[in-house]
Amino acid sequence: MSARGSGAGNCIRDVALATALATALAAAALPVAVAAAPFAYITNQGSHDVSVVDLALNQVVATVPVGKSPAGVVAASATGLVYVSNPDSRSISVIDMRSQRVTAEWPAGQGPVGLDASADGRWLFAADWYANRLLAFDTQQPGQPPRATPVGQAPAGVAAAGGALAWVAERDDNSVALVDAAAQRVLSRVAVGDHPFALLLDTPRQRLYVLNVQSNDLSVIDIQQPTQPTLLATVAVGKAPYGAALAHGGQLLYVTNQHDDTVSVVDAERLTVTRTLRGFGYPEGVASFGDRVYVVNWMDEQLSVLDAASGRTLAQVPTGRNSRGFGAFIGAPP
Amino acid sequence: MRLRTLPRRGALARLAHLVTLTGLAAALLPATVLAHGPTRQKVTEQVTINAPAAAVWARIRNFDALKDWHPAVAESPATQGNSEGSVRTLQLKGGGTVVETLESHDEAKMRYSYRAKQGGALPVSNYASTLSVRADGDNKAVVEWRGAFYRGYPNNDPPPDQNDEAAVRAITGVYQSGLAQLKKLTEAR
Repeated sequence: MSARGSGAGNCIRDVALATALATALAAAALPVAVAAAPFAYITNQGSHDVSVVDLALNQVVATVPVGKSPAGVVAASATGLVYVSNPDSRSISVIDMRSQRVTAEWPAGQGPVGLDASADGRWLFAADWYANRLLAFDTQQPGQPPRATPVGQAPAGVAAAGGALAWVAERDDNSVALVDAAAQRVLSRVAVGDHPFALLLDTPRQRLYVLNVQSNDLSVIDIQQPTQPTLLATVAVGKAPYGAALAHGGQLLYVTNQHDDTVSVVDAERLTVTRTLRGFGYPEGVASFGDRVYVVNWMDEQLSVLDAASGRTLAQVPTGRNSRGFGAFIGAPP
Repeated sequence: MRLRTLPRRGALARLAHLVTLTGLAAALLPATVLAHGPTRQKVTEQVTINAPAAAVWARIRNFDALKDWHPAVAESPATQGNSEGSVRTLQLKGGGTVVETLESHDEAKMRYSYRAKQGGALPVSNYASTLSVRADGDNKAVVEWRGAFYRGYPNNDPPPDQNDEAAVRAITGVYQSGLAQLKKLTEAR
């Protein structure tokens, strides 16, 4: 379609570039023959466990029991730890990527949902859905209760923004807030579409993508001045968008549309939908690695493996009951 | 979030539930009514009918036709027929209403989808549902009804008649009874 038609040459060049980059990155990150393939950690809300998928094999290599009704997840590769939110047991489970076992379970407010971790792995942020707070755990001070910052109604998705800063979607207030968790205060706030749920940061472009479940669109927020965020564009996607991931060297934004059973592929530069992929089952979580995109299907209980450039489905991996994978679910141990 | 301060399963909680159903709560407790529990539930039911798919679809394709084939529905008028955004109001034979909005209607694929922010007479919220027909040979059709929803009670510690299990039970009952009746009506000579 238009992405392919207008930029075949670019595509090839970018694939070559991406391959070179990936090789260089792999060489830097994995000096020894660790063969540490990345893993996808898929939260299964109906079976109260996490499917660990080895992305080199596209196979479930472990199923890890966690707390009740796991929803949110973040794989913090810097520390080799995966965090899973269990809203119905009001806790966060910590999984060690090396052993694929739960090493701790932390009390976490009234109902943690969205999670994210700072790039260095020090801060873990959790949206406390019922208590309207953003919780921030300082992992350098284990055992300490989290810092809690009051935010808007029904906080859902979280995006770590450097150090103790994080964006949080205030679903029932139709806004997004930037929180300084160390200072426990909101630094800025911006109005978005109806019922924002998931968030995704685009650091190179200094943008925040906000997925609005009820208005069926995404709000693109300019965060060059984080204390003065402004709405840059609104992009109509499918019905009930619930997850987003950047892929193909950051050129393409993949968005899952639950009520349409589709995935919208957005040209991140031009902010236009270039194609709509079909055949999903209530897709929710989405993440990318290398030149693959991984889509979690809640209804069909499987992980779809897509080629990022073409959008073609390459494989489907069965997961657990009511799989969600809400968050950055791919990681590799350091 | 005032509901959370109420006793877990006491008379007050049941009263709060009734108030929610009347819609009065929408005015009194906007935030509470907007929110939903954290755990989305789903139900998928299917029935195989000995009839051509087109004949089965013809019976159910109209958004306002539910009263003609669902045993629990007395009336089901829709504001804009099968156009996206059409709102139908179900009057249940057992009392109560459910208000649903048509989200998509696809003749070629023989399916339509709708959603309801509040469950009304059903103990659910943020309810989305799809009804579809597919051919299984020339004289057989498979009708699938699937729904995704949250429980009716938006906060922690739901009363038993508003918890996840109650929500699944209610929707399962709606789908099973409707599909059984559809089969009966369609196969009757």
